[in-house]
Amino acid sequence: MSDVKQKPVPRPAPESAPYWAAARERRLSLPKCEDCGQNWFPPSRTCPHCLSSRVTFADVSGRGKVYSFVTFHRVYHPAFEGETPYVVALIELEEGPRLLSNVIGLAPEDVRCEMPVEVVFEDVGDATIPKFRPRQA
Amino acid sequence: MNIADFSTDLEAARELRDYCSIVGTATSRLGRVPGVSSLDLLVEAIRNTVEDAGLKASDIDGVICRGPDESYSHHQVVAERLGINARFSTTLTNGGASQILGIAIATMAIRFGLAKTIVCGFGRDTWSRTHATEEARVRNETRPASQRPREFGPEYGYFGATAAHAFGATRHMHLYGTTRDDFGAIATAFREHALRNPDAQMKKPLSMEDYHAGRMIVAPFGMYDCSLRSDAAGAVIVTRSDRAKDMRRPPVLIKGFGTFNNTRGWFNDDNMVVTAAKQSGEAAYRMAGLGPSEVDTAQIYDCFTYMVLTQLEDYGFCKKGEGGAFVSSGALRLGGALPCNTSGGQLSESHAEGMLQIVEGVRQMRHLYAPDRQVKDAEIALISGHGGNQVCHSTLILGKA
Repeated sequence: MSDVKQKPVPRPAPESAPYWAAARERRLSLPKCEDCGQNWFPPSRTCPHCLSSRVTFADVSGRGKVYSFVTFHRVYHPAFEGETPYVVALIELEEGPRLLSNVIGLAPEDVRCEMPVEVVFEDVGDATIPKFRPRQA
Repeated sequence: MNIADFSTDLEAARELRDYCSIVGTATSRLGRVPGVSSLDLLVEAIRNTVEDAGLKASDIDGVICRGPDESYSHHQVVAERLGINARFSTTLTNGGASQILGIAIATMAIRFGLAKTIVCGFGRDTWSRTHATEEARVRNETRPASQRPREFGPEYGYFGATAAHAFGATRHMHLYGTTRDDFGAIATAFREHALRNPDAQMKKPLSMEDYHAGRMIVAPFGMYDCSLRSDAAGAVIVTRSDRAKDMRRPPVLIKGFGTFNNTRGWFNDDNMVVTAAKQSGEAAYRMAGLGPSEVDTAQIYDCFTYMVLTQLEDYGFCKKGEGGAFVSSGALRLGGALPCNTSGGQLSESHAEGMLQIVEGVRQMRHLYAPDRQVKDAEIALISGHGGNQVCHSTLILGKA
């Protein structure tokens, strides 16, 4: 039972390994096209904006807003027992891409669409995962 | 040439209007059917469909189905169990959008002589599978392990289709002031329809108070916003309309269909509040030569209450943002302005990934129901299919022959 009580950690695809390696260093780093300059998410080796294969990773601001969110009341995985209700949100970064994360540091009923947020990093097992909290003034 | 402008293609597709008809339809036993595999549920539905049409299995020369995800080359196994060789045979993988897509492909295959009579169907043993063990019941996961995300989800406690669709509901509520009362109007209307359907999985009335008292699953969705876990299958038989006249049942015309897939992703653009029902519906309307005001009944893919509301907007039954007022007006009830999911839908009849919406659309167009279930004077039915990673969409328009 001990391993099912452990939270799932990311099992990266090859193309997303640099994202998670950056997170270990407490940096939010997204694929960026060296030809058209755009960011995207989730990571892939071809730019979905211009199909360039000149792709690198570049740090982003970590600032964004809540595009939408949901609140988990049901326990789908035993490791999250005792944590409900918790918020999973779609964060729209200032750079454009949207990514899934948790919004922490406030009660679920106080989360709103369009709320400004900023990244914080949380260690889970051997991994570090980006989460978001309301943006500090 | 702008390949994104497909209006001339839609004009060309008009020649498919009424070319084919549905001449048989049936379901398997629905709800909780322990001890029967997905495969045998579908074979049971197809056998009943062949009988409904007054045909023999050997009259069928095409098989199109969507397999349960863990089954390789599903259509081959289905045809083997039916004891037939098929000229045209394939398995689709667009989730809940597959069943109408199957009928669209069948129509095109028949038009160009690849087959004469094609059976399209889907079945799944979801109730049995998610209740086989205590662990399965708790996990309630319908996808095989190989298809579950490995990153960008599980580490945040993000699991399942309920949450994915709930994102759309939250955003719609934020933009348009939609409320859980609106979602409740959908759940309670479909339950009322299910009570008229002796085959429906849900047998008890559902009041608005019951709806709000249901436990929360992933807010804003409570248990009554979520479709059922069912053992269920359904099928239809498609053939050329000029061959359809002497069958056992009144044929039902395939007037139009369309597909569109917001494959840029559910989380991108405005896709969670403006679904591909918009473009897939437009294509179907163009082929059928009609618009939303001519639709008498809608059978909408109701994996979750909110998905009904947004698709009704996207199909033009009301304006974007006005879905809440539309569904709360009572429009969706039998006797209302647009009777919707008249067999109870996936929220209250049984869930077979859109297949039962097609079966019900066909039955409404046959006019063989008693008055308590029949949409009075209905000539046109619109049916939707939605699935994949929330972005695949298909629309079917049927007409009384």
